[in-house]
Amino acid sequence: MAPALSRLAAADDAPMGPGGIPLARPDKPVTLPLWEDPIKSGLEPETDGTFTVFNYSDYIDKALVEEFGKQHKVKIQITTFDSMDQCITRLATKAVRADVTNITPDRLAQAVAGKLIKPVNPDYVPNLKKNVWPSLHSPFYDQESRYTVPYTVYTTGIGWRNDKVKEDIAGLANPWSIFWNSQAYKGYVGVLDDSREALVMAMLYREFYDINTEDPAAINKALDDLKALIPICNPKVNITEYQTLPEGTSWLHHCWSGDLLGGVFSYLPEGTDPSVLSYWAPARGKGPIQNDCWAISASTKKPVLAHLWLDYIIDNTVATDNFLNFNGYQPPMVSITPEKLVAEGRIPENLKTAVMGPDDFGPGALQEMTLTPKGQALWQSAYAKFVSGA
Amino acid sequence: MSEKSGIYPRWLWQAFALPGVVWLILLFLVPFYAVIGVAFGGVDPIFLIPVPAWNPLDWSAEAVIQTLSGFLPGGDYWAVFWRTTLYVAVALALCLLVGYPVAYYISRHARRTKSILLALLVLPFWVSYLMRMLAWVNLFAPSGYVNDFLAWSHILPDPPDWLNGNPVSVVLALVYGYIPYLILPLLAALDRIDKSLLEAARDLGASPARAFLHVTLPLSMTGVLGASVIIALPMFGDYYTPNIISGSPTTSMLGNQIDLFFHGGPQPQIGASLTLVLSLFLAVLMTYYMYSVARSTREVRDE
Amino acid sequence: MSEAVIARPVRVPSRGFGRRLRDWIANPWGRPRFLVLITWVYVISSLAPVVIAIQFSFNDGRSLTAWQGWGGARWYWEDPVNSVWHDPALQHALIQSLKLAGLDMLIATPLGVMLAIGLARWRGRAASASNFLMLFPLVTPEIVMGVSLSLAFLNVFTFIEPSTTAQMLGHVTFSLSYVVVIVRGRLFSIGRQYEEAAADLGATPWETLRLVLLPLLMPAVFSSLMIVFAISIDDFVISQWLSCGADCDTIPIRIYSATRAAPLPSINALASIMVYFTLAAVGISYLVFRFMTRGERPKGGEAGRGMVSQMGAFDV
Repeated sequence: MAPALSRLAAADDAPMGPGGIPLARPDKPVTLPLWEDPIKSGLEPETDGTFTVFNYSDYIDKALVEEFGKQHKVKIQITTFDSMDQCITRLATKAVRADVTNITPDRLAQAVAGKLIKPVNPDYVPNLKKNVWPSLHSPFYDQESRYTVPYTVYTTGIGWRNDKVKEDIAGLANPWSIFWNSQAYKGYVGVLDDSREALVMAMLYREFYDINTEDPAAINKALDDLKALIPICNPKVNITEYQTLPEGTSWLHHCWSGDLLGGVFSYLPEGTDPSVLSYWAPARGKGPIQNDCWAISASTKKPVLAHLWLDYIIDNTVATDNFLNFNGYQPPMVSITPEKLVAEGRIPENLKTAVMGPDDFGPGALQEMTLTPKGQALWQSAYAKFVSGA
Repeated sequence: MSEKSGIYPRWLWQAFALPGVVWLILLFLVPFYAVIGVAFGGVDPIFLIPVPAWNPLDWSAEAVIQTLSGFLPGGDYWAVFWRTTLYVAVALALCLLVGYPVAYYISRHARRTKSILLALLVLPFWVSYLMRMLAWVNLFAPSGYVNDFLAWSHILPDPPDWLNGNPVSVVLALVYGYIPYLILPLLAALDRIDKSLLEAARDLGASPARAFLHVTLPLSMTGVLGASVIIALPMFGDYYTPNIISGSPTTSMLGNQIDLFFHGGPQPQIGASLTLVLSLFLAVLMTYYMYSVARSTREVRDE
Repeated sequence: MSEAVIARPVRVPSRGFGRRLRDWIANPWGRPRFLVLITWVYVISSLAPVVIAIQFSFNDGRSLTAWQGWGGARWYWEDPVNSVWHDPALQHALIQSLKLAGLDMLIATPLGVMLAIGLARWRGRAASASNFLMLFPLVTPEIVMGVSLSLAFLNVFTFIEPSTTAQMLGHVTFSLSYVVVIVRGRLFSIGRQYEEAAADLGATPWETLRLVLLPLLMPAVFSSLMIVFAISIDDFVISQWLSCGADCDTIPIRIYSATRAAPLPSINALASIMVYFTLAAVGISYLVFRFMTRGERPKGGEAGRGMVSQMGAFDV
């Protein structure tokens, strides 16, 4: 990559990402190059041996994975990583020989340029067109779904206890401003421990929506706003809101939509009504709406079976079970709508806002995406300054 | 000790030491070199993961210089570095303030109760650090016993929130967590002081206070320094105590920054540089400790 | 506290309070009332929180701060969902901790004993360097070891991924030096005369090692086993840096994540179980140590002291 280009980050023509692949944005879709041909159609799935699933820990219901193994007579192994950096590193250094891997869209350019994931033959993945939201059939980060199928979708918003927080947050002109007016909840306020999310929150508060900016001035402005929170509410910086909100040890927390549902499913104390919890997420284009994916690892010896995994994971029953019995993070299935879930009593009515619909994706949506290396360093250094209390 | 080589073949001791030495080379020295390699290394253009530079000729000091400059006044780590140093210094002073009298009493005055006191003193040593932190968190929670007591006794009718970013709690937790590791070596050092020296001082007319000031205290200084080093070193690398007790940016320590650069983003080479700078900074303390251990070992061995 | 501060004035009623106070201020060290006070306050305050934490592992409710009555073994095994026995994650953490501590004992102890013997008797420049190297893990802050081991497994020994194996290798690395220091102390205190006597009586080197040196070292070997167990089961940092996620969770890792979020008394139960295990290990080792060194020390009560001073790593 030419160094001159990265300086043009704020300019109109998109800078190049890893391996010369353009940086994908919701309004600038990218078709990932095929570094090899997908496997032929109509092959028989491999049997015997071990099938390795590479994933965050506790991010998929083990019973469903075992079920897949039983169906195809393979031994299943779940190998875990604790961050996307670790995932890419271990695939890149060949330390892990996975068959399929979880991956986030902002890492796809790296994974394709570095030949870590294999192209998909759509013939093996009919469930994509059949079950998944049309807006994700050919997502902007991977046009034609050449390498991925979507796994979970989530918004970033505000979770709170309405027995403690008096304001009607969803009704505020600028709901994010609650954090900067939270003196009364000092000590019970939390910000997501994530360099992108924390700074993006401060940007959204200022109604600045270019959340993949690499402009130092914008990043520093966000940093200053974040720092201003410290004397106001001395926020905790963590990602344990899925436990602390239901348990009542935090009252107002920057959080992901899946946290609230997962929290209600697994952490709500006996006798606490789920209606004490509320969640607000910005509308499309006003806040991050993102998704995780599954892809086939280039190191697989079972490419056909790996294709079947991608199809399995977006099977209606499998995806719904995984969502409601285990994960709390919603899969993008047509069959799942907030109204239906509430009607069936699977989620509390007041948390309808934590489930979204197909229209939340598409052009005009915001998603935290790949940055240039320089941009990444800018974001992380700013964030490090915030959490160091400097 | 005499160099009698009659009993055992000459190579035997090398052979005994070999597996352990190899283990330490592979799993202590090589890993430490990996930190240096990453800190001075480059970055893979596609994966943006560190590519360690094993050959010093290939070293690029960019990340290390950037990190070092962060420790200058106004730099990125200036505040967190001084906060860490301050916490460690205050915690250490408090540990000594409590620990020295305790060790002194047990070593010098406790008679019938000595065995019991010793057992009670060693006990927290055997209770996991995190278990003791958990205990502390339970006690100091908003509705915990401590606040109940403070409110009930009207000492503080409106007790503070101890666990919500309160630096006092972090320092007190550090004291509570590390003090057992200070008292034991201090006790051993005080026990080693030759009692006849004290008796001589008393015979020459020194008051107990003077005898303490002029005999016991100076003689126990090595022990005090050694014990201080033993707890200061891990305190400098601590990141879990501030996280458990506070979790707020206002109490974050150097260890938290290292943790962040490894687990929270794309610049592990900065994390490696920070680790390296921390090690260099602590090298003075480490060298002092190792020197004193080596010296006392030599004394024992050559007796 | 009771004996020194309260009982004494009763025995000597004639002394006025003012007089005693003056005495004390004039000479607080002579009759160490102040020292008695601070010692007992310290001892009690160092243990009371732990006792209370154990108490709450028997709480009848879910609270960790308000006592809701005796709940018996609810959080140990009676609660069908959240008790340690029925929560697979907690149970797994317990097993993982014991597994690591066990492996650590089995590997670090023999390795450390051999290294101690070798280093105590091998002379020369390489020996001094090795001695120096052996001391390093004792003084290196754990985060530095955690970082370096995880980078080594990522960049050098890439065939070892974050896993139980990696955690085990890390644990052995930091335990090794403790074993060496403990065994070395014993080696110096027994000297060489027994071995020389055995050799004079015609024992071969192998026999001398096996029949004389090794039995004499047994108390130190035993303390090493126990101390390795205790420091391994207590370790948090190394386990966390080399962790593979949920499957590698140990008890300290569980306690850590629980304290940061919203724990149930089951986490107290889990932590208490660890306390029981460690105390049992210490108790057994105390008795065995006393048994092994019988005849060497006139006063049996000194055995505990012996063990403390065996932890020469902390003895500067």
